[in-house]
Amino acid sequence: MTGSLRLAAACKAGELAGRLSIGLGRGRGETLSGKVILALDPKAISKLGVNRDIVLVSGTNGKTTSTKNLAKILRDFSGEGVSTSESGANMPAGITALLAKKPRNRFAVIECDELYLPEMYRELKPKVVVLLNLSRDQLHRTGEVRKIAKLWHKTFTKDDVTIVINRDDPFLEYSVADAGHVIRVGFGGRRHPDAATCPSCATISDWSAGDYLCSCGLGSRLPDVRADKRLNGPQRNTVLVIEAAKLMGTEIRADEAQVLISNAPDRIHNFEAAGREVPTHLAKNPESWRQALADITVDQVVLSVNARGIDGRDTSWLWDIDYSKLLGKKIVCTGDRRLDVAYRLSVQGIDVSVATTFTEAVQVLASQPIQAIVSYTAFQDLLTAELGISTGKSGSR
Amino acid sequence: MSLTIVRLYHDLLGTYGDQGNAEILVYRAKARSIEVELIEVTPGMAVPRSGDIYLLGGGEDGPQSAALEMLKTDGGLNYAAAGGAAVLAICAGFQIIGESLPDANGQVTSGLGLVDAHTTYDSSPRSVGELVIEPSRGELPMLTGFENHQGLTQLGEEMTPLGRVRAGVGNGFDEHEGVWHGNVFGSYMHGPALARNPELADVVLRCAVGPLTEFIDPFAIAFANERRTTLA
Repeated sequence: MTGSLRLAAACKAGELAGRLSIGLGRGRGETLSGKVILALDPKAISKLGVNRDIVLVSGTNGKTTSTKNLAKILRDFSGEGVSTSESGANMPAGITALLAKKPRNRFAVIECDELYLPEMYRELKPKVVVLLNLSRDQLHRTGEVRKIAKLWHKTFTKDDVTIVINRDDPFLEYSVADAGHVIRVGFGGRRHPDAATCPSCATISDWSAGDYLCSCGLGSRLPDVRADKRLNGPQRNTVLVIEAAKLMGTEIRADEAQVLISNAPDRIHNFEAAGREVPTHLAKNPESWRQALADITVDQVVLSVNARGIDGRDTSWLWDIDYSKLLGKKIVCTGDRRLDVAYRLSVQGIDVSVATTFTEAVQVLASQPIQAIVSYTAFQDLLTAELGISTGKSGSR
Repeated sequence: MSLTIVRLYHDLLGTYGDQGNAEILVYRAKARSIEVELIEVTPGMAVPRSGDIYLLGGGEDGPQSAALEMLKTDGGLNYAAAGGAAVLAICAGFQIIGESLPDANGQVTSGLGLVDAHTTYDSSPRSVGELVIEPSRGELPMLTGFENHQGLTQLGEEMTPLGRVRAGVGNGFDEHEGVWHGNVFGSYMHGPALARNPELADVVLRCAVGPLTEFIDPFAIAFANERRTTLA
């Protein structure tokens, strides 16, 4: 069979498998579809990437939201179709499936898991890579933050790909130290909780001025784009997304960019539980919890923590977070690991109780407004229940 | 009664949540009406020599080497330990208090020598997962934690492990997990270890302040038991 025939046959079989998976109520079918395609044509990813303008989006927090945001901006401003992940499936199988779906779209905006980024970079030959941030997450899988930074550092060499980074993150600056084309976006510096030592030379970092500049030279490159220090996480990611959109040929005026930044999308979803609406943050690691806690404005909060594979199997990171924002509020913990979080809060002197399910947690609270912060699989479970899908396992990390 | 707890370089050795051990000791001491001072030692600060309990946590290779070099130069932790202060050292911290370990470049370097333990890295897969140990001393129940390390640590013949591995890898030699030598404790258990094992927290506190009054903390007990039951 010739290469293109093999790919076509593989994609057809993948599409059927995906439909079957949806028909059986096994989620959205993307991961199975991609697995079938890759089994029949192991070179499918690189073949599907040919003659396309691809952006890869990676980082610890905000990948899914930023990918959707960039795809929307490219669609709105270029009027062209854009292939992108709908569900956050960000490993090879999910990426294969999304590329196979609309093979004629010129643009593809692809969310990529941190550990798979080197492989996808080599296979897909993207035009632009967006690196949002890097902090501790899923350490049972990644081992160390520095391990990913080293992996990326080896990946990005002098080629014609342009990499857009948040230069305030020293792990990203180190990742692109040998890259050919980099757009550095700076927000005026901010202490990185995992970078007590330089990612490049391991010297103790001096954060006294709120920024890093190591004697080895890391941090000495000036930003190409300077943005407002007061922007929050999602807004910062949007600034990077806008730079990527410009590199893809989109013209965005300054006033249009301002609107996009002000309306930066966040990972918040209004779930209905016990007949009440609960604005719910997805938060899965210390940094995203800090951001979610900063957004708590009510006096009753539900926290749901699981430790299934993609949540991170070790819950120790719950102790990295300062929960003083919750002092004086009524907190109910649920999820598989409700006791881990409840005990941690009780040690900080916070009024806390536990409930078996999210709905029960909402039921024990008074009629005043409620907000929730939930871990990855807890969020997926709530979405699955809302969509009426029986077992919506996602391939996303 | 008063108690001084010294948390060492938690910016460097706080990657895996072990800084929580300090909060638990403070919480459980205050519950017994013991006056507690928690001192945070950051790079550039001298290590206090008169602390009662010293805490070290897990960290990545580069920060581990930086912390070790500062502790060697400072000498305060060795001084305090020689005087009988309690030390609880987790993961990278446990490796630091031994006789030898690999530095950030993989070369063998000397540790602080508070316990006779030698750490080596080999090419075997990283030890990651739930750890269950049967403690070496009868006063403690089954202990649990989460391990995440590359190094394997061999204890000298005179050393007693913290416990015997029932599930997981631990030190990687002789079913040993951690070390319990006088008032010095080493372990690969994150969780943090004292959150998942409040009885161990009280053992460490007793090293510093002697007998403790009873303190029943329902969440601590429920959490520890949930982990023990799930992993049994």
